[in-house]
Amino acid sequence: MVVVNTPSDSPDDRMRWDIFCKVIDNLGDIGVCWRLARQLASEHSAAVRLWVDNLDRFSNLCSAVTPQSTTQHVDSIEVCRWPALFPDIEPADIADVVIEAFGCDIPANYLTAMNQRQVAPIWINLEYLSAEDWVEECHGLASPQSHSPLKKYFYFPGFTPQTGGLLREKGLLEERAAFDEVARKEFWKTLGIPAPATEELRVSLFCYENSALRGLLNDWAAGCEPIGLVVTSGLAARRVSDWIGEPLSERGIVRRGSLTMYGIPFLSQWQYDRLLWSCDVNFVRGEDSFVRAQWAQRPFVWQIYPQAEQAHLAKLDAFLSRYLNSFPDLCGVRDCFYSWNGFGKMAESWRKFTENRQLVEQHGKVWARQLDQTGDLANNLDRFVRGNLGIPLL
Amino acid sequence: MSVKIAGELQSGNVIIVENSPVVVLKAQYNKSGRNAAVVKVRAKNLMTNRISELIFKADEKLEGVMLERKECTYSYYSAPNHVFVDADFNEYEIDEESLSDITKFLTSDMTDVCEVTFYEGRSISVVLPKTIIREVEYTEPVARGDTSGKITKAAILKETKHELQVSAFVEIGDKIEIDTETGEFKRRCT
Repeated sequence: MVVVNTPSDSPDDRMRWDIFCKVIDNLGDIGVCWRLARQLASEHSAAVRLWVDNLDRFSNLCSAVTPQSTTQHVDSIEVCRWPALFPDIEPADIADVVIEAFGCDIPANYLTAMNQRQVAPIWINLEYLSAEDWVEECHGLASPQSHSPLKKYFYFPGFTPQTGGLLREKGLLEERAAFDEVARKEFWKTLGIPAPATEELRVSLFCYENSALRGLLNDWAAGCEPIGLVVTSGLAARRVSDWIGEPLSERGIVRRGSLTMYGIPFLSQWQYDRLLWSCDVNFVRGEDSFVRAQWAQRPFVWQIYPQAEQAHLAKLDAFLSRYLNSFPDLCGVRDCFYSWNGFGKMAESWRKFTENRQLVEQHGKVWARQLDQTGDLANNLDRFVRGNLGIPLL
Repeated sequence: MSVKIAGELQSGNVIIVENSPVVVLKAQYNKSGRNAAVVKVRAKNLMTNRISELIFKADEKLEGVMLERKECTYSYYSAPNHVFVDADFNEYEIDEESLSDITKFLTSDMTDVCEVTFYEGRSISVVLPKTIIREVEYTEPVARGDTSGKITKAAILKETKHELQVSAFVEIGDKIEIDTETGEFKRRCT
């Protein structure tokens, strides 16, 4: 018999969380889950177990992860392999809160044990980020089952107080504000990249397949302004290498006209934040780097995860409507985002965007302050869960 | 008992939720980008009459309930219920909340044949025909020169005072065809 709305029966007082994550075609999903897991553990005293189906890929993002280990502790998180055949689990071993990230279906035998648990766990479906209006209406709603008291709650990250907000670690904005010129120079040194020269525009590149990339590289190489392009490892480095005609290796430097390209190794999340803080403009993609670019308060250009039949355009539009709501878009932000996503002339919109870079940066600071008022996702989620379990807030 | 796909839910459907029958008052489908397609449902628990908002993945299989249905016509309003009558002049009362999406089209002189749904002998919902015809009580004068129908303006329906967008050439007293699923103007009849 399942009982609902009673406090945790965990042997220690910490609330136990199980997060299930499947590594899809890139590291965005696990990137979000890893941030969330660490925040819940470090800021909300949670005992977090993170189930990941591909520890090999995860170890790229977090070098402390040993792919061969079935269970291991990393940064006080219990990281577990999510095997294809999930082992039977005792109801008492089910966490107080179960998160299925991005609609990954949790294993059937785990679900059975959830139903048998004496205290029904809070079951959360953590969704992808979207700025669309309908997200506000659906955020936090329960998805009940036909013959079980278990309820799955849909939890939507977002840009307004009517959503779950965005992941932002405690102290992130203070660290960002304290990241001065000295820290920036030190960071470049750790990457083996010279600090930007006075006239240079330093740009970071993280992208999916992108039809506008070659044209932009051509323009940068042929232009008058010196551009220092820091190319993230993986797809971006491969496509830039294709354009160069030779591999851009990790820590490699290649020059073409006014364009100097720097290869870098795979960065940890902590390092990637510093890269975003150190560049004048950041090209970002998907969800996690997109959110971090907003907290970086530097001009950024977003490549949204492409979908069949242009289904992603509504999401892009919705974000731009919110982002540019209080900012008369004389700076070509909208054009630049659209061009980078395959709809427009990148050379023209880039020129306008960079000419107005200072204004875009100022707007970025205002925007980040606005986002900060929605509260951060981990904190909002913790409050949501405690509210549903009837447990007082910490 | 039957299987209902959440993405196909419509007003009037009854599904089992936490062992209780609930009638769908409104179903709204949302899908974009990488997010799972979801259906937001406003539903009433038929045991407790409690109304709540729920959400389902669009591909989720739910347990549906086979229901009895009868063709009826609208008869009159007796607060807080609307009364429908079948061919044998049996009357069936349904409360206003359960008809949330269609009361804007209920008029005392309507002859449309509606479908009333019953759960364990109790009338719980009504579905209007796919299209209905209603009279425009008021709209701004015709915008001269435009007959394309692309420019729209607001119009108020006779009796219910419901406002909807119609083509610019529609005039006061015109009969118009309305799609009851979308609530949108389809064409002018007169």
